Amino acid sequence: MSVTGHNRLALLAIFLLIATLGWVLLYWSPAVQTTLNLRERPRGGDFVLDSHAGPVSLQQFRGKVVALYFGYTQCPDVCPTSLGFLSLAVNELSAEELAGFQGLFVSVDPERDSLAHLQSYGAYFHPSILGITGDKARLDPIVESYGAAYRKVESASAMGYLIDHSSETYLIDRNGVLAEVLAHGTPPVDLLAALRRLLAQPQ
Amino acid sequence: MGRVNALLAMCAGILLHGAVLAGSAADEVAVADAYARAVPPGQANSAAFMLMQNSAAVAHAVVTAASSVSAVAELHTHTMSDGMMQMRQVARIEIPAGGEARLQPGGLHVMLIGLHSDLAPGSELSLTLTFEDGSSKQIRVPVRRIAMKMMPHKMEGMQHGKMQH
Ligand SMILES: [Cu+2]
Repeated sequence: MSVTGHNRLALLAIFLLIATLGWVLLYWSPAVQTTLNLRERPRGGDFVLDSHAGPVSLQQFRGKVVALYFGYTQCPDVCPTSLGFLSLAVNELSAEELAGFQGLFVSVDPERDSLAHLQSYGAYFHPSILGITGDKARLDPIVESYGAAYRKVESASAMGYLIDHSSETYLIDRNGVLAEVLAHGTPPVDLLAALRRLLAQPQ
Repeated sequence: MGRVNALLAMCAGILLHGAVLAGSAADEVAVADAYARAVPPGQANSAAFMLMQNSAAVAHAVVTAASSVSAVAELHTHTMSDGMMQMRQVARIEIPAGGEARLQPGGLHVMLIGLHSDLAPGSELSLTLTFEDGSSKQIRVPVRRIAMKMMPHKMEGMQHGKMQH
């Protein structure tokens, strides 16, 4: 009897060992976890960057609802989809609502994205979307404070380096406070609803 | 000597026969719903999407692409990892036996790099896909602006999908 009991215990121990080992192998990736800024409750906040027409500060849009997005124009797919969705939502706004809206596309690829190109790139999606950027030293604190992330990746592609980037859309209320973070692929109807929620709030 | 030749001939015969039976990858892979994304003026790159269907009992793969509108065409994919969208070049796009490969926004695509001119909606480009057996296929790809309509939740069903084509 006691032998069988021991055997069972031993079996249980072996099973637990295998399960633990399996879990570690499958889910434990300490290197990745520590090297990236994991976003924890982004603070948002004011910043100043450059546009084709000169410096742009978030502060100058007080009283407006701002949609903020970080990307790069050589991005063939993810950025155009996000900006396309945003433009669909913004197209539904009334003239009065539109007067209270500003879109900001922040390029995290200042090396390749000229201010002139950023200007036409933003406007292509909607005239209310402004393309802005700055050097890495100015970009990084902004990216961090909004809980976004990006990294340059060398590649064998004819594109040269690639840029991995988060693809959330950040909505900032009329008081300059980060109000909502919308996941990549948020449908235009939901974007519109979120914009209207913030537009309806008194300043 | 005679034996070796006979053996070689037999091998060649079997190989040829097999090839005839199997057909070329280009013949067995059908491409549907191809389109390329219209881009803002001055853009260096764009992407083409499509559905590839393999009618054969063996897997096929696209290994290279070339286009009439860009210096280079590469096979790429997207993955979401560490909270970031990552675009990477891939060596091949597999189309399983009797199955399909869907190239779509946010995933696999043919990346058009170094555009010679702006891709305007309504225009068309030609794309050459080369398969693992060396066979190739040329397709016409219309240029479209993507997601130009509001998509209400309720219309997510069948009618809307159809209307887009
Ligand atoms: Cu790509």
